[in-house]
Amino acid sequence: MKFLRRWKFRFLLFFAVVGPGFITANVDNDSGGIFTYSQAGAQFGYALLWTMIPVTVALIVVQEMSARMGAVTGKGLSDLIREEFGLRVTFLMMLGILITNFGNVIAEFAGIAGSMELFGISKYISVPICAVIVWLIVVKGQYKGVEKVFLAASFFYITYIFAGVLAKPAWIEAVKATVKPPELAAFKHDSYLYMVIGVIGTTIAPWMQFYLQSSIAEKGITRRQYKTSRLDVIVGCIFTDVVAWFIIVACAATLYLHGNHDIRDAADAAQSLRPLAGDYAYILFSLGLFNASLFAASILPLSTAYTVCEGLGFESGVGRKFSEAPAFYWLYTALIVAGGAVILIPGIPLVKIIVLSQVVNGAVLPFVLIFMLFLINKKELMDEYVNKPAFNIIAWATTVIMIGLTVLLVYGTVRGGTG
Amino acid sequence: MATVSLSELLGSTVYDASGVVSGRVREVALAPQEDRSRVALLIVKTPAGNRMLPLTAVSAINGGIRASTAAAEWAAADGSEGLLLLSRDLLDQQVIDVHGRKVVRVNDVDFHHDSAQNRSVLRVGGVDVGARGAIRRLLKGMVPAAVLRVLLVRIPPREIPWDFVDLIETDPARRVRLKISHERLSKLHPADIADIVEDLAPDEREAVFETLEEGVAAGALEELAPKVQRAVLESLDSDRAADIVEEMEPDAAADLLGDLSDERTEEILVQMQPEERQEVAELLEFKENTAAGRMTTEYIALPVTATALDAIETMRTFEGRMENMSTVYLTDSHGTLSGAVPLVKIVLAPSSTPLLALAQEPLISCHEDAKEKEFAELFDKYNLLTLPVIDEHNRLTGVITPDDVIAMLRAKL
Repeated sequence: MKFLRRWKFRFLLFFAVVGPGFITANVDNDSGGIFTYSQAGAQFGYALLWTMIPVTVALIVVQEMSARMGAVTGKGLSDLIREEFGLRVTFLMMLGILITNFGNVIAEFAGIAGSMELFGISKYISVPICAVIVWLIVVKGQYKGVEKVFLAASFFYITYIFAGVLAKPAWIEAVKATVKPPELAAFKHDSYLYMVIGVIGTTIAPWMQFYLQSSIAEKGITRRQYKTSRLDVIVGCIFTDVVAWFIIVACAATLYLHGNHDIRDAADAAQSLRPLAGDYAYILFSLGLFNASLFAASILPLSTAYTVCEGLGFESGVGRKFSEAPAFYWLYTALIVAGGAVILIPGIPLVKIIVLSQVVNGAVLPFVLIFMLFLINKKELMDEYVNKPAFNIIAWATTVIMIGLTVLLVYGTVRGGTG
Repeated sequence: MATVSLSELLGSTVYDASGVVSGRVREVALAPQEDRSRVALLIVKTPAGNRMLPLTAVSAINGGIRASTAAAEWAAADGSEGLLLLSRDLLDQQVIDVHGRKVVRVNDVDFHHDSAQNRSVLRVGGVDVGARGAIRRLLKGMVPAAVLRVLLVRIPPREIPWDFVDLIETDPARRVRLKISHERLSKLHPADIADIVEDLAPDEREAVFETLEEGVAAGALEELAPKVQRAVLESLDSDRAADIVEEMEPDAAADLLGDLSDERTEEILVQMQPEERQEVAELLEFKENTAAGRMTTEYIALPVTATALDAIETMRTFEGRMENMSTVYLTDSHGTLSGAVPLVKIVLAPSSTPLLALAQEPLISCHEDAKEKEFAELFDKYNLLTLPVIDEHNRLTGVITPDDVIAMLRAKL
């Protein structure tokens, strides 16, 4: 007992240090992340590894901005957009976020379905059960306790690092591909472009900025404690992207190498790992995917309901009763029910849907960034905490690049290229 | 009397005395120093720049704003000193709904419109925080006005009367100019004020705590979640913080100050009145999870010879909280605890009765070092209203009240 208590104490101590930045970054490697990175590795081998360094820098910059705005203003991003840009702009932004996040919710349920299918459990059983669990966790006000369990379980992510190592990749080639700039000619292919947008969109997802800023504000982190949060954000972002790098490498060293360039479902990804890394990696893969999906599935609908209700001025919060905040609870419920229902459509291509949702993330991202950049450079709002030039340059560059890539992709699709 | 909304006024065409189109409405402004609800002027965007059109010079509002003066007479709008600009300061911002006791976001502002003798009077009726205002603004200019009106009639309004709206302004100088005082907010129960304040951003909380009367601020501060309490005390000036802490229950004040950094505690203590400072400083010495750390030093203790009348006389002048009077304690010349008399017994007894004859048996007390669990058990076992705390010489040093026990137990639930 005594041992257990001490262990529990250490455990809690760890989570006292782990903050919103680390949690957000962890949820970032949700089923959308896992499949998009896997697909990137399977389809292009090491060729997309170059995205990891710039995307990590951009992720840190963007997340740091969210955390800073949360700490300085004490308000959520949708609150600030509403106060500074008015109702119409907020409404359009919220509509965009709602659609994008709905795609993400679908992706999480797809992850749940896929991971459970590996254990032979039909999606018609796993998805409804998990949807009810997720719904109950939040409505019954148990989220804070459960979050710790999820977070502990997200150490499963380390399994990807094991999986990557066990797959015996060509290390030198992988490192070279990480630091070598991409060849411009590659961007002419729509499928390559599509994947680049997907990778960036899944790493720097729009919902993260809303979620992180609200968490920081809600936690009551002030300007003075902000330095700790910044460290929390940076560590979280780096951890996330190291995991992402290993997922790509693991898939490149196996699926890509063996000519399996298209992941159709979770079994594809996991089964291709099985002959090389044994049963061990296979079970870890599916458990990790399940935890990641369930974790994100309990955060995303909630975060979306908060974001939209705050922006539009509806009552929100799990502290309120259903009758006090009907819009909040209905929106939350609808996201889960509809998200789960889409996955139950027979024969729906799970992985294609997941990757598409991440591409939509990428396409919506620049709009969120533009709002953030306008807000964070307002002196009335941020005082001396406005962006430094280097931050503005990186964030604007990310915005412009994402718009450019999306325009190229849309142009390519309209022209009739293959997706 | 007709109703018109801010979103309908904004952007509507302004005609001057000669009937010529001279601009569009940019802002609707109140001058709270003169009148809290009457619209003072419109800011009109004209080709020559922004102009202020006093409402006394407006003859009609329906179907475009008709001015009774020439556009050239309107003063240039430079600066908004003392003006509450409804579009900038109110629309889309958060305000406190004092009646509903919550923080709400403004979707639109509704005015009552009266016109007599070619003069228009516009008064703010309330703020719209429901779907009606939101849809009106979203669809304005996108569907024909008549269709919109038919649609909106079907939506039940959620309007907060202007008298129940408390604005939040973080700039102290503007607060004075705009006469924002939180007078209505301060009439609420401290626990309700605390709930409202917890929904605000840090700067806004600070603003509310700077404006509230000290006693009210202290009551509300006691009810806040510990995390928010700390943040509020950190943000306030130390003299303002000291003024508020002085008004708090000494035990609550000590608990709170004990959670702050030593420097900050020192800054606040220095600014306090000597008497209150000493009380709080003494309590600060104790560990928080012991009886001494939880007790208050505001109680009534009388000599063993005192009568019921003496007790009642003392209560009349007692400055502490009412619940601290529910038991009167008896001490001998050394300060040793010798009896506890419930208020009810004192009230029911003839006034000459010696208090000692009314004392409760057995006399329950606990030592300063008693752990939380111990004294919580005593409360439960003997159904106590208050529990006296004694030192190693059996001298009375403080009293634990049920609110402390409930707060403590709730924190563990």
